[in-house]
Amino acid sequence: MATPEADGVPTAEEETPPSPGTSAERDLQAVDLDIREGRFQRWLALVAGLSSILSGGEVAYEHYKGSYSRRIMYTPVILSEILMVCGVGGFFSPRIARTLLPAVSAITLLDGTVGFYFHVRGVQRKPGGWRLPIVNIVMGPPLFAPLLFGISAYLGLIASFLRRNENGTAEGGILPLPAHARHWGKALGGKHEPIDPAQDVREGRFQRQMAAAAAVAAFLSGAEAWYSHYKNGFRYKVQYTPLVVAPMLMIAGAAAVKSVRVAHTWLPAISALAMLNGGVGFGYHARGVLRKPGGAKKLLYNITYGPPIFAPLLFAASGFLGVLASLLRRKPE
Amino acid sequence: MSSPLFGKFRSPDGKPHMLGAMQTLDVPMHRYADGEEVDYAIVGTGAGGGVLAQRLARAGFRVVTFDAGPFWDTERDWVSDEKGSHQLYWTNRRVTGGSHPLALGENNSGQGVGGSTVHWASFTPRLHPSDFHIHSLDGVGVDWPLDYADVRPYYELMELELPVSGPAYFPWGDPHGYPYGAHPMGGVGDALIRGCTALGIPVSAGGPVGILEGSRADRPHCIYRGFCIQGCKVGAKASTLITHVPDAIANGAEIRANCMVSRVALGSNRRVNGVFYFGPDGRELFQKAKAVVIAGYSIETPRLLLNSACDGFENGLANSSDTVGRYLMAQAGNVVLGRFDQPVRMYKAPPAHALTEEFYETDPKRDFARGFAIQTVGPLPISFAKQMMSAKGAWGWGLRRLLMDYNHWASFGLLGEILPHAENRVQLADEKDQFGLPVAKVTFNLGDNDKKLIDFGKNKVMEVMHAAGAEEVVQEARYAHLVGAARMGNDPQTSVVDRFGRTHDIANLFICDGSIMPTQGSANPGLTVMSLAARIADYLIIQGNAIFASDKRDMQTSPIRYDLSPPDTWGHGMPRPVNHLVS
Repeated sequence: MATPEADGVPTAEEETPPSPGTSAERDLQAVDLDIREGRFQRWLALVAGLSSILSGGEVAYEHYKGSYSRRIMYTPVILSEILMVCGVGGFFSPRIARTLLPAVSAITLLDGTVGFYFHVRGVQRKPGGWRLPIVNIVMGPPLFAPLLFGISAYLGLIASFLRRNENGTAEGGILPLPAHARHWGKALGGKHEPIDPAQDVREGRFQRQMAAAAAVAAFLSGAEAWYSHYKNGFRYKVQYTPLVVAPMLMIAGAAAVKSVRVAHTWLPAISALAMLNGGVGFGYHARGVLRKPGGAKKLLYNITYGPPIFAPLLFAASGFLGVLASLLRRKPE
Repeated sequence: MSSPLFGKFRSPDGKPHMLGAMQTLDVPMHRYADGEEVDYAIVGTGAGGGVLAQRLARAGFRVVTFDAGPFWDTERDWVSDEKGSHQLYWTNRRVTGGSHPLALGENNSGQGVGGSTVHWASFTPRLHPSDFHIHSLDGVGVDWPLDYADVRPYYELMELELPVSGPAYFPWGDPHGYPYGAHPMGGVGDALIRGCTALGIPVSAGGPVGILEGSRADRPHCIYRGFCIQGCKVGAKASTLITHVPDAIANGAEIRANCMVSRVALGSNRRVNGVFYFGPDGRELFQKAKAVVIAGYSIETPRLLLNSACDGFENGLANSSDTVGRYLMAQAGNVVLGRFDQPVRMYKAPPAHALTEEFYETDPKRDFARGFAIQTVGPLPISFAKQMMSAKGAWGWGLRRLLMDYNHWASFGLLGEILPHAENRVQLADEKDQFGLPVAKVTFNLGDNDKKLIDFGKNKVMEVMHAAGAEEVVQEARYAHLVGAARMGNDPQTSVVDRFGRTHDIANLFICDGSIMPTQGSANPGLTVMSLAARIADYLIIQGNAIFASDKRDMQTSPIRYDLSPPDTWGHGMPRPVNHLVS
């Protein structure tokens, strides 16, 4: 199941000189090269910011359904907005991308973890607690949603390590590593700068991490899809599709950690499928919202109580991680 | 395995007194000794008495509160069953009459701690600003001695204390939002939204209703099982039993359940000095108090005043104006039922979850003053059977067949304002109850305006039901919610109490319940009763010992106190415009 993405990826060489062709092809190759070499900080910061709108919207109406009955339920809504600003800011300013963006992203990731704890506790607090796991996971607070909320923060954090693609050449490499990246590199076990993990990320050599992240995200959003669609009794056959695609993406992501071949073939193909699936799901969810009584005339209410309109796009985000992984380089063995 | 891996199920037959599924009454209740004088004797623990007792206790007053019924343990005493919940209603003997006699009992009065709030549907809309001035605006009824602005901060506070779930923007009257999120729709709410949007009528989805939409502290959120008016065993629906009474007890108030107050005792200097009551064992006892507050609702409050007639007040206590018992109001509560092709299953979800107040205000194009609201109602099978009997004359096999069709029916309620009439009143009948006290005789007639309003309103509701897609639409005439019968006003000649609930005749006798409302609007009265109670409490607290010592009336409105709310009022719920709250 090869896709154009997989075909378009150069395989072995570390450097690909700009090849002749139409200008569109040259642009594509330039983008590809930028990603391979970690020179896409601007774009990834923007993606982190924009995806933060989705997860922020999702958490806003989900927590609205919970009436914000705990003050901590505000934090993801507020953080997602700040992250959105930082992500967009990081697109324009290298300073923001190297300082504010990683700080806010780290806080957001922490917030997601704390949220996960509260959601576990929420399930436990329901009658029967963890002794009735299926009922209480399905009917309780969405268990993995807080971790999924961390995807955009993860992207933001990654973006802060990268180089910028000004002038389309290796010029981005002139800037020294940001301070936090040096600390992270040391913390992660690097002895000195050029070969520590942060430098690998900086140069686009983190395919394995990204593939693993895609697998984890696929697990989380697949589980979300399972218990949310279960709640609706799988009324439509199409509701099964994310449950089929998610394990495929998990396996492909895990295999890509081991195998460069999978990383360049199956992973992008299945990731593209996941993105397509998420897009179609978004369409169905939007239709579901409009089909509720009152339809567009009670739009806000129906978004709150209709199918979660942004959830399929978060599923698609795990596919995005997979596609991104396939475009990166690996750390030399 | 004695202790299961992930913890034990919580046992419902453990020792603690349960208030809902999770809340327990842990604090021992203070007991006042026989013959000990207290500051306030409060008669009734419902929307008015419960809130007042909680606040007075919190402010440090010595309070004893009486209720004629039991102190419910929701796990032990309540059943989720339509027939099994009759103990919640005031079903003692009463006499009803007039041209449009009211059905008394399950629909309008409660017994036991929490009063009617244990079986209200918990719809909690506010009155509109116009409701306070219907005489000036429309030339009907009477003006309140208060303005909407006087009550608004208390509405906001009560909406936090219950708390009230509802849309973030509620467009009618004084537009506002609600602290807890809107509820999901049941089948009836879906039908109301469909019908209203088809006709271009704005509709409020998911509230306002005093039912938790997200959990709060030890009260779980609603699970949409539909037994709201049979007593919410979940503890999601607000009632003073679970919202205010526990805090009153924690602050030293004594709740005397199963105690029927028989009369208020008049001492010297035209001041009351306590109440006589029948204790749980049926003996008549006396509680000495520096001041008395009656919160028995629109039938029992005037009945108690009339039963307390004595030298100097031969027509009834505080009844020099002959207004006690008069101007009783009920709201037009016609139920419109529609049959749908698709199942509706109206037993699911709270009966109260969507409404429109689009027709609330006086419309010059109509030939009557004031207006009405349209609300969801979700009768369970026994109520449904009664409605079918009344609406279609169904009986025998035909009724059985209709009942088998229950799942296909939806019902909307009209909630229309009926104006106050002097001849609609509570009097004493010749008959006596089990304590030997004369029972209440309730007379109710409709005026011209009321009939026109009901006629127009019920047709409008039927139109909405048709627009929702119902193939057959029927309706039953019915009345809901009592208010009035001891109304407040500035003129002692035409009203019983002043604007702080103090009787014009007796300086240390107060009334704090729905009976003091001069008019009723088309809003369910619960939230207004609670807000007035909180306002009266603020007045009593700032007056302090002056109430007990002198007959002087200070008519200064005191500032609202935000420090008397029960725990967990603050720190939960939606961001909302708090401009009135912080000013």
